[in-house]
Amino acid sequence: MAPLRLSRWTFGLFVVLCFAYLLLPSLIVVPMSFSSQSYLSFPPTGFSVRWYEGLAGNAAWRTAAANSFLIGIPAAAIAVALGTLAALAVERGALRWATIGVALIVAPMMLPHVILAIGLYPVLLDLGLLHGYVGAVIGHAVIGLPLVFVSVSAALRNYDPALELAAMTCGADRIRSFFHVTLPMIRMGVLGGGILAFATSFDELMLSLFLTNTGTRTLPRLIWEQLNDFLTPTIAAVATLIFAFSLLLLGALAVFGRGQRAMPASLALATAETAAHG
Amino acid sequence: MAEREAAGRRPWSLHHGNAVLLLPPGLFLLAFFFWPLLRVALRSVTEPALGLENYARVFGPGPYVRVLWQTVETAGFVTVLCLLLAYPLAYAVSRAEGTRLRLMMIFVLIPLWTSVVIRSYGWMIVFQRQGVLNDVLLSLGLTGTRLTLLPGSLAVHAGMVHIMLPFMILPLVASMRGIDHSLLRAADVLGAPPYRRFLEVFLPLSLPGVSAGVALVFMTSLGFFITPALLGGPQLMMAAVLIEEKANIELDWPLASALATTLLLITTALYLVYLRLTRGRAPLLGR
Amino acid sequence: MADPRTLEIVPDPRGAVAPASGAALRLEAVEKTYGGFKALARTDLEVRPGEFFGLIGPSGSGKSTLLGMIAGFVPPSSGRILLNGTDIVSLPPYRRNLGMVFQSYALFPHMTVAENIAFPLRMRKLSRDEIEARVHRMLDVVRLSGLGGRAPAQLSGGQQQRVALARAASYDPSLLLMDEPLGALDKNLREEMQYEIKRFHREIGATVLYVTHDQDEAATMSDRIAILNQGRIAQIGRPRELYEAPASAFVASFLGEANLFEVAAVSQSSPPRLRVETKDGLTLSANQAPRFEAGAVICVRPEAIQIAKSAGAAANALAGRIVDVVYTAGSLRYRVEVGGGRIVLVRRPLQRQSTVMDVGSEVYLTWDVADTILVPNS
Repeated sequence: MAPLRLSRWTFGLFVVLCFAYLLLPSLIVVPMSFSSQSYLSFPPTGFSVRWYEGLAGNAAWRTAAANSFLIGIPAAAIAVALGTLAALAVERGALRWATIGVALIVAPMMLPHVILAIGLYPVLLDLGLLHGYVGAVIGHAVIGLPLVFVSVSAALRNYDPALELAAMTCGADRIRSFFHVTLPMIRMGVLGGGILAFATSFDELMLSLFLTNTGTRTLPRLIWEQLNDFLTPTIAAVATLIFAFSLLLLGALAVFGRGQRAMPASLALATAETAAHG
Repeated sequence: MAEREAAGRRPWSLHHGNAVLLLPPGLFLLAFFFWPLLRVALRSVTEPALGLENYARVFGPGPYVRVLWQTVETAGFVTVLCLLLAYPLAYAVSRAEGTRLRLMMIFVLIPLWTSVVIRSYGWMIVFQRQGVLNDVLLSLGLTGTRLTLLPGSLAVHAGMVHIMLPFMILPLVASMRGIDHSLLRAADVLGAPPYRRFLEVFLPLSLPGVSAGVALVFMTSLGFFITPALLGGPQLMMAAVLIEEKANIELDWPLASALATTLLLITTALYLVYLRLTRGRAPLLGR
Repeated sequence: MADPRTLEIVPDPRGAVAPASGAALRLEAVEKTYGGFKALARTDLEVRPGEFFGLIGPSGSGKSTLLGMIAGFVPPSSGRILLNGTDIVSLPPYRRNLGMVFQSYALFPHMTVAENIAFPLRMRKLSRDEIEARVHRMLDVVRLSGLGGRAPAQLSGGQQQRVALARAASYDPSLLLMDEPLGALDKNLREEMQYEIKRFHREIGATVLYVTHDQDEAATMSDRIAILNQGRIAQIGRPRELYEAPASAFVASFLGEANLFEVAAVSQSSPPRLRVETKDGLTLSANQAPRFEAGAVICVRPEAIQIAKSAGAAANALAGRIVDVVYTAGSLRYRVEVGGGRIVLVRRPLQRQSTVMDVGSEVYLTWDVADTILVPNS
């Protein structure tokens, strides 16, 4: 009995340590942001909100935050529209090459973003869209599309296709059966996919490095530029704010995802797949 | 009447016209994903002159092959570490129920939802000379002087494993939760001791999750940029960092394109293997 | 007759569900192939107005394909489907004006019961008052008055099924398709719902095409039945016809239980009787039948066979030994070996005074010459 209990304890300790490791870097920045000193030492000494005050008064951070929304929201909207169409075609279309189609649609999620970034650069340059909002929106929509596709596909698979057939025998044509039956059924998948696409754009660095300039740069890019220069608690304050905002999005996703069994695993995974292009 | 005539004698089909829905997303991806990738590949063999000159530079003597090799090596190492940590962790998650399960899932999801830049920043705080790790090592007496861990491979590996761990855990949890527990009970009843029950029943049934997770982590690790750039420095250079530097700083686009094309081919090959392994039913794709 | 406008919905100005006159359905040379696989061979079928028509067959026999083609979900490879004389093959499901009840009920989970029933009426742009009146009436017909505000998930399986019926019939479709509508219910509820659906059918008067794999259910409910096997119709007829005069060994064994004997040789005994030698080496007696040819099969229903201690004067008498007896609700089922290892199944109604034969008893199996059914071997 004793060795069994011992191994259980070891296993439990291992699990706790792993979770501590997972949470450590996310949580370490929060206390740093309230430090009263200008260098980073842990644990921080003193308490102050001066880094947050400094942020509020800084135009560069305010612009970057605004840019992140100006780029993220339209990018997510485009990703939602196109990703939903693709999911409908693949899930309901009985297409001959569906497997290959899925592999191609999901590809932007799998490839290193640096390749897409240096490819999009000349394409957007030719179109006169480089360094502008439109160009950045396009780039972020490309990587958001597969997320919406995966999310909506899961939602479509999650309910009985007989419902659409029933709507049709009831006299609803394709468009009306989509808006009256299909869309209400998959709206959580669509919303969830949209949040994922937005979160991905909000956290994306590589495309922003190539496709934006100092006027259109996003928060991750500004953080990146500051990180290379100096480590101050200002960044910890930004990080804490973004962290809080991400948790808000995660909470929203959890609420929208309720009742969708496919949600936790495949979605969270898909989310992160792009987010992880660290 | 008009509609009827337009339809003609052709039987109406549920699937007719559904392929049209693919047109907008298809054209969008064609213009802004596949065409850019093709441009990269074309550029690598046409600039500055038509030929394989850029590839000769990539594969010739010089640091580039070493960086590519180091990229693959690091990705492989990170994948193995992730699997070793994630398998028992996923087992714990898969056996949990109720509040404990929800709490564990939140613990897995929080880092996943934290910006990668921010997490790398967190690791910088941990690994710097005046950082947490050095404090702990000093106070435990494990080291006499503060160690220079940044930039360094320990920091890169810790940061990368941290980012990739949830990707290994989630497919593993998905496949472990799918295992019918009556099979394990059946193995018990049939007289299998716990380790045989694990080796001959549980492990084989969890393999789909293992292969999905391994492929996913390895593929993604190949493209890592932020973590190696911030924590790695010149000793642990990875492909994406090199490509960004060549293009954005040195403006050597032909070489950057050749490097990117090589990385693209490696990743595509792996992607194909992954699709084949999962027969298009990757847990990741939810199919 | 070919005017497609006959398919348009004519709202009933009285706002009530008047017993509609059911449509006539005709399938002409309808065929469905998937690649090289023939899901349904060239089929002709006629369903009369107001008829309750059963479609049965084992899974994969093509019955769902057939139903799907009529509903418009599956395009036929060739042939015509005529509803009241109009070919509907090129029309989408939403222009066919059919009602359909699905095995999974397919109730819209985001709508209440009343909204579900109102949905087809809204699609037909009926006035609000009209819709309300019809929903009210349909809820009455399916005996769910007062439950209109519930969500489908709050109802029992049987209640959900009745909502599905009400929704499919709320707009007076001239043809109602039902795809295994009771397949998800347990046995007792299924029997209750069979009567419910029959009553419903009488009340709305539409033509009903009812798909099921349960032969008892089809026999109980249908005016006529088509039995499908391997993508073709094996036989069409009233339930009793199919039972008493099966057109093939498949039909004989699919509908009810059957003892089948392959015929080896036939000779005249005292006309109009035939002496039949079976391949098992048994000698049976049958009435002269025109459709009797070599290679035929003889079918004797288990309930037509009597068990006696002596052969007596019976036209057919086989000596055998009881190897097994099982009591099932209301009857006794004997398995009797009649030589050469051949087992004959016998079912006897169980009454208070009936004696149960013991296993091992030597007995005679006797039956009337009329119960020796000759089945052409197709």
